[in-house]
Amino acid sequence: MASTFVAAFEILSFGAIIVLVVLGLGIIASMMGIFNFAQGEFVLLGAYVTYLAFSRGAPIWAGMLAAPFIVGAFGFVLEALIIRRFYAAPIVAMLGTYALGLIIRESVRGLIGGFYLTVPEPIGGSIDIGTMHISAWRFTIIVITLLVIGGCYLLLSRTSFGLRVRATLENPALARASGISTPMIYGATFAFGAALAGLAGALIVPVFSLFADLGIRFLIQGFVAVMVGGVGSFIGPVAGAGLIGTLSAALPWVMAPVIADVLVFVLAIVFIKFRPQGLIAGKGV
Amino acid sequence: MGAAKQALRATLGEGPEVSMADDGPDGALPARQAATGLKVLPIVEGLVLIVALILPLFLQDYLTVFATRVVILALFALSFDLVWGYAGIMSFGQALFFGAAGYGVALMARDLNITSILLVLPAGTLIGLTSSLLLGGFLLLGRHPSSVIFVALGTLTGSYAADRLARGWYYLGGQNGIPSIPPMSLGSYDLTEGPVYYYFALGILAIVYLLCRFLVRSQFGLALAGLRENEQRIAFFGYKTQHLKAIVFAVGGTIAGLAGSLYAFHEGFVWPNMLGVVISTQVVLYVLFGGSGTLIGAVIGAVIIEGVSFWLSDNYREIWPIILGVLLLLVILFRPLGLISFVLGERERVGSFGAARKEKRNAAP
Repeated sequence: MASTFVAAFEILSFGAIIVLVVLGLGIIASMMGIFNFAQGEFVLLGAYVTYLAFSRGAPIWAGMLAAPFIVGAFGFVLEALIIRRFYAAPIVAMLGTYALGLIIRESVRGLIGGFYLTVPEPIGGSIDIGTMHISAWRFTIIVITLLVIGGCYLLLSRTSFGLRVRATLENPALARASGISTPMIYGATFAFGAALAGLAGALIVPVFSLFADLGIRFLIQGFVAVMVGGVGSFIGPVAGAGLIGTLSAALPWVMAPVIADVLVFVLAIVFIKFRPQGLIAGKGV
Repeated sequence: MGAAKQALRATLGEGPEVSMADDGPDGALPARQAATGLKVLPIVEGLVLIVALILPLFLQDYLTVFATRVVILALFALSFDLVWGYAGIMSFGQALFFGAAGYGVALMARDLNITSILLVLPAGTLIGLTSSLLLGGFLLLGRHPSSVIFVALGTLTGSYAADRLARGWYYLGGQNGIPSIPPMSLGSYDLTEGPVYYYFALGILAIVYLLCRFLVRSQFGLALAGLRENEQRIAFFGYKTQHLKAIVFAVGGTIAGLAGSLYAFHEGFVWPNMLGVVISTQVVLYVLFGGSGTLIGAVIGAVIIEGVSFWLSDNYREIWPIILGVLLLLVILFRPLGLISFVLGERERVGSFGAARKEKRNAAP
């Protein structure tokens, strides 16, 4: 009983981490049609900002709070300077963002060296439920993930900003004709996606520690999750990420980890092949 | 498929001179020839070949070994260029075929003691062909045509999954791969790294290059270029675009398999990176940098990137990837056709197909 519960918690918390990482990727892919290969590096930057704050002696939670804003601002600048030119051609966008990601990743590698740098958990210790212990920080991540999903959903579905984003997604020409500045919306959306990645990086760095290939680890999983969930809506990638995350955390409990690892990808690709619109079809929130 | 074969036959013996001499009595001849001017492509190709032929005379031994590696990687770049530069299929996992063939021949050498060139190279090529047929057939064919994004991410995922599999599978050596593969042999002669291997690899590269050149200058190649520029229109012309794509994907995989088996025996070991995202993206860099859609561009890109990275790696190992990223970004933004476009015009890039037209016109009345 206890071990089942611990396993379930592990699966849930890994699923939450994947969802957190994929959120930004999904928003950028769905609302802008760009598969951002630099998203993993935004995660890395978020983690790096947190580490910097910690190593300068600031409290960790301050670094975690600052990370999304810094990375978001960085994303906004990148969008205005570079990403903007790629909207017409999705494949070129992949290559361009890949190049950007390469630059960021190698710069960070130059800054931190080839080390694995640890950042302590701001909320340490464990939560005891009877005889079972679960990590307090992982539990916090699950809670924050749920809050962020809820916040994003409300932002996109209930606010006028969300309405404009969706209008720009649905019909850019009509949105422009209605007086919405679509370049501004694209910039803001990209910055928002980047900020979410920064937040994800900041939150997961105590779990995975900081190393240059931190982002790459999640990137392909993230893409697969977005495709499985369905490009075009907010909730699709979240559902896909939940599925892929829990699946890749759950399968190793029942079969050899190597096979489980590969099986998730194979299953996902086969699923997308036969259901290209993904789990949740349609545009919008 | 039938049309493609017919097209291949129709363009037999077409050389650059022939095609240039016949831009046809459609009135625009002088203007177009003036615009085209001197044919640059054959000159570039000839120069590259000459440099490649005399290069080992001036190199020390360890540099010849490095040059051999570059030649093999250029062959690999050719395979990606065919798929992306001509057919417009973003194969982000080209290393899957490269590495699968490498692992295949390494296993043959390790477990079955087969190192004969006459067996391992065809086997590696076959592995490349089979794996690319399977993956390409799955990703590209079917009732619903696949989106470019799906194909790009599908190939990338395939390559990543293969990398993970090789890393975790004890039989394949796990993280360390398969070390100390014996050299290829022909009878009692062992083909070890050095000038002989260099010329052997160069010979294969030249043959494959000529075959590819013939392929892309045929009507099949023209259909591919059309596919890249406007897939829908080519489909309206009655071509089965998905089949064309699957064929060229398999051809690319075959060449990648050949390159992979050469690479495995040259390096003497295979390791999971050979299958994975690292090499897959590396080959994308070569082709984008040199100039996609021209075969020689892929070769030049491989030579330049590998050469500069070799040259810089002593002193600037840390910043080289950053420079590479910046250069790549600049190329994508400002020179989407790659470095080759500095000397090569757009008209020549697509190629001319005069000989085929001439035959048809003669046959028509």
